[in-house]
Amino acid sequence: MLFNSYAFIFLFLPVVLAGYFWLGRRSNLAPVIWLALASLVFYSVSNWQFVALLLASIAFNYLIGYLLIAAKLAPAVRLAALTVGVTGDLVVLGIFKYAGFFAANLNALFATHFVVNILLPVGISFYTFTQIAFLVDAYRGNVARYALPHYALFVTYFPHLIAGPILHHKDMIPQFEREEAKHPQAHLILCGLIIFAIGLFKKTCLADGIQPLVSQAFGPNTPTFDQAWIGALAYTFQLYFDFSGYSDMAIGMSLMFGIFLPLNFNSPYKATSIVDFWRRWHMTLSQFLRDYLYIPLGGNRHGSLLRYTNLMITMLLGGLWHGAAWTFVVWGALHGVYLCVNHAWSNFGPKVAPRFEKAVNLAAFILTFFCVVVAWVFFRAESMASALSVLSKMADPSNIAFGRAEMAYAVFIAIYVAIAWFAPNTQEIMGYDHKNRKVGENFEGARLRPLYLYAAAAVLAFGILGIQQHSEFIYFRF
Amino acid sequence: MSIAAKNIIRLLVASAAIVAAAALLTFIVDPLQLFRPARLFAAMYSPDTRMQNAGLIRGQPFDTVFMGTSLAVHFRQSDIDRALGVRSLKLAMTGSNSQEQSFVLETAMERRPKRVIWQMDDWIFRNAGEIDANIYLPANLYRRNAAGLSEYLLSGAMARESLWLALRSITPLTPLVAKLTNGVVFKFPIAEVDDINALRRDTDIGSAYNKAKALAAFRSMIEPGARQSLSAGYDLAAMIAGLQRDAVGLIAGNPDVQFDIYFPPYSILQFVALRDASPAALQIGYDFTAFAFERLLQFPNVRLYDFRVAKEVTHDLGNYADVLHHSPAVDLKILSWIADGKYRVDPRAPLASLEQLKAQVAAYRVEP
Repeated sequence: MLFNSYAFIFLFLPVVLAGYFWLGRRSNLAPVIWLALASLVFYSVSNWQFVALLLASIAFNYLIGYLLIAAKLAPAVRLAALTVGVTGDLVVLGIFKYAGFFAANLNALFATHFVVNILLPVGISFYTFTQIAFLVDAYRGNVARYALPHYALFVTYFPHLIAGPILHHKDMIPQFEREEAKHPQAHLILCGLIIFAIGLFKKTCLADGIQPLVSQAFGPNTPTFDQAWIGALAYTFQLYFDFSGYSDMAIGMSLMFGIFLPLNFNSPYKATSIVDFWRRWHMTLSQFLRDYLYIPLGGNRHGSLLRYTNLMITMLLGGLWHGAAWTFVVWGALHGVYLCVNHAWSNFGPKVAPRFEKAVNLAAFILTFFCVVVAWVFFRAESMASALSVLSKMADPSNIAFGRAEMAYAVFIAIYVAIAWFAPNTQEIMGYDHKNRKVGENFEGARLRPLYLYAAAAVLAFGILGIQQHSEFIYFRF
Repeated sequence: MSIAAKNIIRLLVASAAIVAAAALLTFIVDPLQLFRPARLFAAMYSPDTRMQNAGLIRGQPFDTVFMGTSLAVHFRQSDIDRALGVRSLKLAMTGSNSQEQSFVLETAMERRPKRVIWQMDDWIFRNAGEIDANIYLPANLYRRNAAGLSEYLLSGAMARESLWLALRSITPLTPLVAKLTNGVVFKFPIAEVDDINALRRDTDIGSAYNKAKALAAFRSMIEPGARQSLSAGYDLAAMIAGLQRDAVGLIAGNPDVQFDIYFPPYSILQFVALRDASPAALQIGYDFTAFAFERLLQFPNVRLYDFRVAKEVTHDLGNYADVLHHSPAVDLKILSWIADGKYRVDPRAPLASLEQLKAQVAAYRVEP
């Protein structure tokens, strides 16, 4: 089921909300079970064949977690249990996500003819990572024992199940246990509704609105210089508004249930360095990769050379996490190189005189955006050949069309640039503070001005009017 | 009730009011003319035929339907009417497969046309997915069910087009809005049905269609890197299944309708490219033709034309923009051939034209 569908907005969400609060008057546990069951219904509507896999994954990880938390095992046995748990998760992920890729590469290398046709279970990358983090923390002794319904809800919670944010058990399960969350709080529902509306607008009006321009670079025709740039920039903004729109919708609807989800975006295209970019883009993935991959690899604790090696490994695997294709590996490698250069420049580059600081920051901002756009070409392209072809056109200003259509598209792109660079982001507008569990303090009581309220109503209305019949979120396929 | 609760209600009511206003605007202006012919506002049309056809079928008078792919999309209805003495409705869709064509024709059949002129080739019968999974064709709009009508009325894009059409109908604004309506931003830039996807009358035909372009397209097709794509979709079993489901089913279900089916005059280079770069695909094409011709000619309401052997056109490369797409002059020839029964396949010798085509393909030598 899609967040941007009439069935979800007008039927599923209101029914689940009503049931949640109705049960909340009677019990603290029943709403949790209700929400977990509703999440399974949400998942099964379009992925019924993978419900058993999801349930098996929950049971497996809960069992391993139980062994690590509650059973009094010897250290070696605990390590073995963790190894079995993490390996089991990665094997399942590997089979469903990477077997076809592996077979294709074997075939290319050794002229074999392995055929692997396995459908990718939607959300598997997200719920696998979520549970690996749980197992590692359980092994480290950082986890109290959780009841099965709360754990199951933590994994299946429908606002995040398909495409994140990647949740952390220590953040979520205590919220599921809180009794106050089960009673409707009009202020949270209002703020959640507005955040949901902003996300819906980003998805249906901004991301879907610019999507046709992407084919300027990635369509069947060979692009000119300007068309290649229009297409690459269009994808840059489509991806951002699509994924950040999804994240806003997830945060908004979760807030209606009284649950605060972590932020996933913080105006990434305003970044002034690649390090800054990764603090702003898909933030929960960055945090996961940092805490459960980069730091365990040694992080920056063993000298510069190992630090750069660890960065490259982290980003290569981060790229591969997005999809089983060499284009994603190259995208990850590019960002790995960017990060290494960024860190090397910070450590060894010249210090900037204060009077040049603004100019240097502006240059860094432009250079960062340029590097990100170039990397997105690999992220979007169907193949390496296609990516290199688009990039070669972007580097060839001798071939320019710039007709009436391209001029109109350029104006369109300029509007998106203005929004991404100069408009406040959702959390700035709404005063969303995940850490302190606060939102919309300026809107409380009578302080919500009618102008804001009706502007929010218009955003929600335009979001609904922008719904198209077939428009999945891009991150569903990861 | 708390202030926040009141604000929730205000927000939802205001949103509903905006959505309702947009739906009402679309209902009144009705850009696709789904509910009524355009009277209050001047009719405008979209080149997006997969969407536009849903309205054309409802709103246009016709006794003959003209269906096909990009090979048929540039025909003018006025030419069809003049050549064949009919009242035609062109529903050709660029890049369409047989399932889309059959679905649209099925909807058109509800208006009980007497005749269907159908540009058909082996390519349209490649394996296609479910019609409801087709993101380009709004199937529910054709069905006029609740989902389709709500998608139409609740579409912000359609409301924007409606507003634009309404503004265009305000006399002082007409010239300005007409100037801004260029098809890049707005979806309904065409004022006459006859002009939908037809080449502009001021198009430089000589530079759009010429021998150099046809040969350049041919050479890029047979480059080693492109050869694999030549055979894409050539699966005989799937193509035959497509023919049975989408063409045979429709023809058998409408015995009172005359089906004039023609295989278009591709340039000879199309077949020569397959001959030289993908002979297996060419053989599948031949096998499919043999099956399709025999099957289609079993129906008394089918007249079949094989223009692929029209050497006067197919061997004159100046008629083409690439190896497939012919000029408007050939459009007129096709209409006159249908009117005269030329290149019609004789039901007593259904494979004669195929043998002729094979001989032409085998004999043709591309000039260096």
